[in-house]
Amino acid sequence: MDRKTARFNTRTRVMVYIVLAFVYLAGVLLWGLLMDPEAYAVDYRVKFLPPGAGHLFGTDFMGRDMLFRCVKGLSTSIVIGVIASAVSSVIALAAGVAAAVVGGKLDSFVNWCVDLCMGMPHLVLLVLISFMLGRGMKGVMFGVALTHWPELTRIVRAEVLQIRAQPYVQAAYRLGKTRMQVAREHILPHVLPVYLIGVILLFPHAIMHEASITFLGFGLSAEEPAIGVILSESMKHIATGKWWLALFPGILLLAAIMLFDVIGENLKRLLNPGSGHE
Amino acid sequence: MKKKTIALLLASAMAAALFAGCGGKKDGNIGKETASAKEETSASGETDDDGIVCYVGHGFWGGSLDPVKGAYAYGYDFTNNALLRVAPDSSYTGDLAESWEVAPDARTYTFHLKNGIKFQDGSDFSAEDVVFTYETVMERQGDNEDVDLTKLAQVEAPDEKTVVFTLKEPYSPFLDATAQLGIVPSDSYDSAAFDEKPVGTGPWKVVQYDAEQQLIVEANEEYFDGAPKIQRVTFVDMDNEAAFSNAQSGQLDIVMVQPNYASEEIKGMHIEELETMDVRNISLPCRPRQMMRDSKGNDVEVGNDVTSDVHVRRALSIGIDRERIIENAFNGVGRPAYGFTKNLEWGNAPEGQDGQADEAKEILEKAGWSDGDGDGVREKDGVKCEFEVYTPSDEQDRYNLAAAVAEEAKGLGISIIVKQTSWDEIYKTSNTGGVVWGFGQYNPIVVSQLFNSDGILKGDFDNKPAYENKKADALIGEAIGAAEYEEAVSKWKEVQSVYAEEYPYLFIVNIEHCYFVSDRLDISVDTQIPHPHGHGIPIICNMKDWSLK
Repeated sequence: MDRKTARFNTRTRVMVYIVLAFVYLAGVLLWGLLMDPEAYAVDYRVKFLPPGAGHLFGTDFMGRDMLFRCVKGLSTSIVIGVIASAVSSVIALAAGVAAAVVGGKLDSFVNWCVDLCMGMPHLVLLVLISFMLGRGMKGVMFGVALTHWPELTRIVRAEVLQIRAQPYVQAAYRLGKTRMQVAREHILPHVLPVYLIGVILLFPHAIMHEASITFLGFGLSAEEPAIGVILSESMKHIATGKWWLALFPGILLLAAIMLFDVIGENLKRLLNPGSGHE
Repeated sequence: MKKKTIALLLASAMAAALFAGCGGKKDGNIGKETASAKEETSASGETDDDGIVCYVGHGFWGGSLDPVKGAYAYGYDFTNNALLRVAPDSSYTGDLAESWEVAPDARTYTFHLKNGIKFQDGSDFSAEDVVFTYETVMERQGDNEDVDLTKLAQVEAPDEKTVVFTLKEPYSPFLDATAQLGIVPSDSYDSAAFDEKPVGTGPWKVVQYDAEQQLIVEANEEYFDGAPKIQRVTFVDMDNEAAFSNAQSGQLDIVMVQPNYASEEIKGMHIEELETMDVRNISLPCRPRQMMRDSKGNDVEVGNDVTSDVHVRRALSIGIDRERIIENAFNGVGRPAYGFTKNLEWGNAPEGQDGQADEAKEILEKAGWSDGDGDGVREKDGVKCEFEVYTPSDEQDRYNLAAAVAEEAKGLGISIIVKQTSWDEIYKTSNTGGVVWGFGQYNPIVVSQLFNSDGILKGDFDNKPAYENKKADALIGEAIGAAEYEEAVSKWKEVQSVYAEEYPYLFIVNIEHCYFVSDRLDISVDTQIPHPHGHGIPIICNMKDWSLK
């Protein structure tokens, strides 16, 4: 087959993608976290400069450097994304495994919670939670963390149900292993690949949602550099032709999200026994 | 499926970037009326209809148009006239009333009405209509938060052309209410119908009203003070940015813009920066941090350990450079303000001088604020010279202003942390931090609201710095109790000199309202009155004098 004669096999290519994506995201994250706030300080002498040598991404209405603001904002978004994914995935894993292994009333309850959360438009739920907690970093963090678990829970639960029906799991039960032991030794290891991919694919969602509710004014407040804030500010100036205020932050955000997606999709191919050896 | 959702999200993000551009078209085509009106006006000045299309701010046509429920309580005529109106020099002058006098007991106001005035429905205007309007508002004061008649005991009409008001107690700001409350006809008043189509004596008749979309008015040819020159005016409601784009494509004759747009250019239009009495100031809590009991009996935290030092407040006021702040935050549009503006009869801003950074630093040093640890921020007894200033998140201008002030304060060694939040949050935080406020009204009662110590911890706006000065309180009492308006004015002025030395509010700028106006339209700048607080809408104050060239 053609694929086998290609210069790089899928596995190598996938690894390259993953490394590239990881370098970009880790780079933005670290650069943002370690950045001196002076880098994007107010400087009224350089208001509305178009992109150029001094300011690669131009400056905004207060003379703040857009490159530094964007990177700082994006790194905040990534932090929120990571934390939210971590929390969501722990909830999802615990709820999914428990529902499937214990079954009965607990299963119904978890399903009920999942339906409840998914029955409401995601963004509305986010806005409600964030607003209730007084917006800001805390509101966004809780909002994003507490609303991303239902889909993953469903996937994990379905996977566990399937594995539990396998003869070897049934055999383990007959041999006198407790539910916890079976879950830990025989079920969890098999759910892990699906789960990991699910978690990685959660990142872009979390980041987009952080940016969205901030854009709508229910998230981070204007004095914090955040992609949502930057984009919503740029809307005020786009009518007068300040295109760079919207374009570059948009591209940065887009790149981050697509790269997470690339990592997730490629990992799926690697970890899936059906396509892992192509 | 996941991929699809992500793709959708991304698509919406990109669409968002284009929003401002297409939003205009979408918003612009509300109803056929607007569209056709626009076609007429955009046909290079040759209009059969003699109409114009205006955008004077977002959301101001949202509520009821009924004067009884507070519509157009701005002190100028629109669909209805009040007894008095505000003149271009901001004094009160007769509108439906020919003359008026106040009895020496300061409780009885007598108005003599003009003759021969008719309502738009053809019925005669008489004293009975005035009595009806005032009594209706008194009965339903809850519906009307713009005209306060709680001090009014009764209103009578001894004859067709005379109205006598009796107050419960002397209250000189009552005169302002008579300039704000538009009179409705007693015979045909219909509370529901007047929400959309009020009938009055005014220069404009409502043709069509769609809340938060558009308002179309037509000239009242029978108007007693001369018919308007323009036949038809359409007001459209949209976003500021969408309105700007619409103006660029030649669809609007007037568009209100934020000061940051003032340096743009639109073909066929010119910029007008109109005088207002609207000032922006920052409240600075005057007491050290402590617990106090509010009017509802709750214990609340009040005060701020930094701003409670009058030296800090004084240093800020003289040390910052207001011109530079206006340049930075407002694109140079606006005038430095040190108090209520001189274009108000009762306004008495102290002659200020700012930009004296060295003197300001000296004041701070003498008061014990010095930068010991070299971080650029002064401290005193372990307290950092730092406080928070809150701005409402729906007004970018106020944030820009606070940020520009913070930059100036930084030079003095004072750190101001600017925060944006919702109004609900601001009402709470305003007890302990600074807040950027906007005030501008003809009624001098605002001085009492801001500086009278009996307002502490009462309302959402009243005396937020918790300022207390016995002399100011006494003078406010005298001003309110004055029988002669001139006497009240002089007392109000005196109050302002009393608090001027203590800077409970840091006055910064007297804003100007910016509009792009079509070159074919003359908005008669000479007869404009100083605009009250009200964003863009007050430009219509003299709309009957506008003409097309």
